[in-house]
Amino acid sequence: MVTINHADPKEVLNGTAAKPIRVSNKWVAQALTFLMVFGPGLIVMEADNDAGAVSTYVQAGAQYGTHLLWLLLVLLPISYFVQEMVVRLGIATGQGHAAMIYRRFGKWWGRFSLADLLLLNFLTLVTEFAAIALALDKLGVNPVLGVPVAAVALTALVLTGSYRRWERIVVFLCLLDLAWFAIAFRVHPVAGDVFRHSMVPSLPPSGLTAGWLFLVIATVGTTIAPWQLFFQQSCVADKRLRFSDLKWARLDTLIGAVFTILVAGCMMLAGNAAFLRHWIFTDPAQMAVQLGSALGPFLKNAILLLMINAAVLGTTTISLSSAWAYGEVRGWPHSLQKPIREAPAFYAVYALCVIAAAGIVLIPRAPLQLIILSVQVLAGLMLPSAIIFLQLLLNDKEVLGERFANKRWNNFVNWVIVILLFVLSLLLAAQVAVPKLFPNA
Amino acid sequence: MTTLMTQQDDRMEQERITFVVVHPLDDVPEEKVETEYLGPMPMTMTVKICLYALRGYLLLMFGLLGFRVLQLAGVIKS
Repeated sequence: MVTINHADPKEVLNGTAAKPIRVSNKWVAQALTFLMVFGPGLIVMEADNDAGAVSTYVQAGAQYGTHLLWLLLVLLPISYFVQEMVVRLGIATGQGHAAMIYRRFGKWWGRFSLADLLLLNFLTLVTEFAAIALALDKLGVNPVLGVPVAAVALTALVLTGSYRRWERIVVFLCLLDLAWFAIAFRVHPVAGDVFRHSMVPSLPPSGLTAGWLFLVIATVGTTIAPWQLFFQQSCVADKRLRFSDLKWARLDTLIGAVFTILVAGCMMLAGNAAFLRHWIFTDPAQMAVQLGSALGPFLKNAILLLMINAAVLGTTTISLSSAWAYGEVRGWPHSLQKPIREAPAFYAVYALCVIAAAGIVLIPRAPLQLIILSVQVLAGLMLPSAIIFLQLLLNDKEVLGERFANKRWNNFVNWVIVILLFVLSLLLAAQVAVPKLFPNA
Repeated sequence: MTTLMTQQDDRMEQERITFVVVHPLDDVPEEKVETEYLGPMPMTMTVKICLYALRGYLLLMFGLLGFRVLQLAGVIKS
């Protein structure tokens, strides 16, 4: 926070700081400071509700009704704690996550993390564009035209040389997800079921099955993704958040986490509408069409447009996490504040990620199912390792000092999260290796 | 003299209750911890255990993945 008492704002008065706003009320000053800091937390959380997440949450609702809502509530504090650590690291060092791993754990781990991140991000981008193509098709727009237009628009979004312009547009896109609340309201869920299954963990009537376990793991993997760690730390560094901004950045992250979990819950309720009607579908676009025919075209169009919005949000943030990470490790200029001529390689990585992913989707009979499976496997490999590095970095007092390093209770909570993620990843691996380990539904 | 002091007091009072809010991107860059010259993290017992556990985890996961791929390819019968 830079709510500076006028008695000592030398930098502001001598002109080294631009565009200061003067106010006489402390609360107004704090609110303005919060609004200036606000952004990275909401964006990183809401962008995590990307096309894959829409598919997972809707599928969870369609298969198990409201029975997995409690899981979202459990994931709320977990996602906040993980991202809060990244915020502290970013503010304390002013460096991205990839750069920190590279410097503190050496080249081998640095390259491993970067390669894993870039590959996983790229495959995820392909799934984002696949969702855009699917939704456009159902909206009557030819994907062969629509996908390249989306790719160009997504590239243009970052080329303005202004972090603030990019952030405002993306925050606006995040807020469009408020429409999920209208959708959840329109499908008329049973309030008692929603409340009970949100508050009390329960198994569905079919019991513990492989399908249920897979959806639980997929939901966890969707809610806490490796790219988020890299993205938010780089974003905080690019925005040049100051030590005093920490409490506002934490609030931003908390608001983002709450908003994202509520939106995810609304997605499950949309899927629950299909569960109640015993519909079978393979993707959310198909479900949107079915809902549209039963409850009116608003639902169909809204879900399809929100699918595109989710994919757009996912694409810009995931591509940026790749471009920032690569730029940090290579030592290239890497900032949205820089024009193209000053950071050509940074923008080139971003554009390459977007255009190549869009191109793959347009290839007839591209192995999209294999790509989706690879994303799940790689995410399972990447997440525990990314969290371990995060936990070790947050205990690195040489870098963070006492003020920003983890406290004892932070470590306790975070080790519980790390162990939980390891166990879930191992269960997924066991399920892959021994498919008959758990009974099928 | 009294008038001058009163004016000064008023001005100081006015200055004290004025808050200046600056966007982080417009603010003077803060001096952060210099990480470039710190070198690798000291290998304490915790760090060693974590990195060994991570290696083990990755080997196990890649092993399972390879096993599954071979199974799907028909090299290993399930």
